[in-house]
Amino acid sequence: MSAAATTGTYSPAASAGEKRRERKEELRRHLAEDADWPRADGRSFHDCRPAFMQTGPTTAASGSAYAEFGKTKVIVSVFGPRESKKTMMYSDTGRLNCNVSYTTFATPIRGQGTDNKEYSAMLHKALEGAVMLHTFPKTTVDVFALVLESGGSDLPIIISCASLALADAGIMMYDLVTSVSVSCFGKNIIIDPTSDEEAWQDGSLMVAYMPARKEITQLTLTGEWSDGKITNAVELCMDACTKLCDILRERLKDASSLAE
Amino acid sequence: MAAEMEATETGGLAGEMEVEAYRRLFPLAFLERHLRESVRPDARRTDEARPITVALGAVSSAHGSALVRLGDTAMLASIKLEVMSPSYEAPDEGSVGLFAVDFPCICVAPFQVIWLIYSCVAWYSAAVEFHMPPICSPVVRPGRPAEVAPVISKTLEDILMSSGMLNLKELCLISGKASWLAYLDVYCLNADGSLFDAALISAVAAFTHLEIPLVSVGDDGRVFTVGGNEGKIKYEVVNREKRKITVTNIPFSLTCALHKDNILADPTAEEESIIETSMTVVLDSSDQIVSIQKFGGAVTSMATIKDCISLAKDRRKKLRGILSVEAMEVDSHSSDSVN
Repeated sequence: MSAAATTGTYSPAASAGEKRRERKEELRRHLAEDADWPRADGRSFHDCRPAFMQTGPTTAASGSAYAEFGKTKVIVSVFGPRESKKTMMYSDTGRLNCNVSYTTFATPIRGQGTDNKEYSAMLHKALEGAVMLHTFPKTTVDVFALVLESGGSDLPIIISCASLALADAGIMMYDLVTSVSVSCFGKNIIIDPTSDEEAWQDGSLMVAYMPARKEITQLTLTGEWSDGKITNAVELCMDACTKLCDILRERLKDASSLAE
Repeated sequence: MAAEMEATETGGLAGEMEVEAYRRLFPLAFLERHLRESVRPDARRTDEARPITVALGAVSSAHGSALVRLGDTAMLASIKLEVMSPSYEAPDEGSVGLFAVDFPCICVAPFQVIWLIYSCVAWYSAAVEFHMPPICSPVVRPGRPAEVAPVISKTLEDILMSSGMLNLKELCLISGKASWLAYLDVYCLNADGSLFDAALISAVAAFTHLEIPLVSVGDDGRVFTVGGNEGKIKYEVVNREKRKITVTNIPFSLTCALHKDNILADPTAEEESIIETSMTVVLDSSDQIVSIQKFGGAVTSMATIKDCISLAKDRRKKLRGILSVEAMEVDSHSSDSVN
């Protein structure tokens, strides 16, 4: 009986009707060919979703931040600097330990990838260059991210949110790191894609950037791109990162004025 | 005697020490000095619980969700529905889990805590899960789940199923063919004590928010969702009438920390780490006891247990007004059960 019950469950997806598929194809064609076509959420190609960011949702942590971009919702907590694990070798510089996980209800189908190893490694690489590791020798700073709801551009939002949480925890950094991704559709570039757009894209590019130092900490590119388009896309990302960084700074100022 | 010595000794030291340092170095003496003045470190009275806020619909990817804050403790509960074939024993019922064996009423957890569960439990389910992700507390590390998490999972599930809060017949789609299986996941976003109380409230709130999607059955016998008015009635909608489930007999719990002669209602994480033992009382809407649990530790008298029960009753009465969002949701569906 229990075997029958365990095999039988599935989440009822929307019917994959012919009409629906046609409509999807048509949307994709518009995004790839038209100069400017309103996206599913009403944005134009070069508009980001409205960003809501806040420090301090988790009081148990040294520092924390919450970010909400459209449907994507992320919480990042920072612990430490605290004692490194016993098994770790002695180190003159501090360590940064990153972990990204998803809630079971974050994705449309339940329980897909609750622990995301790839994103954990990418988050580490994006932040590593910005944190002054020599300021906390022999100890570890833990950066833990939990994606409450996945709505596209998850990793860039996790990176921006993590740098806000690090700043909230008072960890020394060269600069705040912000990150934005773009999707490539035919001849068009679309910024801050939603999960649907990410599913249909021809290629994607993500930039993690330190606006005040004008330095890129991480750049990932997948899919089909031409030279000229890459330059355009990187510039577009850097511009958006600078604007996002202003929002982060505002939030940090708000938090410190509240504390006074 | 030794404790007294220590208390006076540290008391003498305290004059020259900063409050925050004293709090960290001598947490027990710090708490006891407060208790002697009948006040707690966060300025609450001993029998005073923290304020609660409930926000429904926090996660749009789930069918029902609620974010609950109890003081600084934050809990996010979320329900996702999947379709399953109902069991032969109950062809017209849905499930909040897969039922299997009876669970003994008294069990010993692996870490030597004796649980007294006064509820009769005949359900086992894999679908109610309590998660403590590493973001919620400095003691939880990735890959190493907190040891209290599975205990809270199990208790939560037992109480939801045994309190008779849900009518599983409402989760049936087509008798004998298809029914809903509700996956309830509760995530602790910030752990600051009384986790079970917050988890239970969020779970109940998520069920009141639960909205069952409109579905239809295709030619292949599989169930698929139907949008509001598209599709042009090629397939008939099965559940136009059953979009909400009735939540009756809502369980409510209060955890009390017991320390010497003091009863501290709704302890924080700091208090929980110091106190001798704690006790959780679960009541239903008509103040009947659903479950009482005392988590090992020091012995308590019957009088203390009675005090805890009456504290829980008072708290439940007060909360009917405070939880306005939830109370509204609850009232519109089961006004007769809340009295």
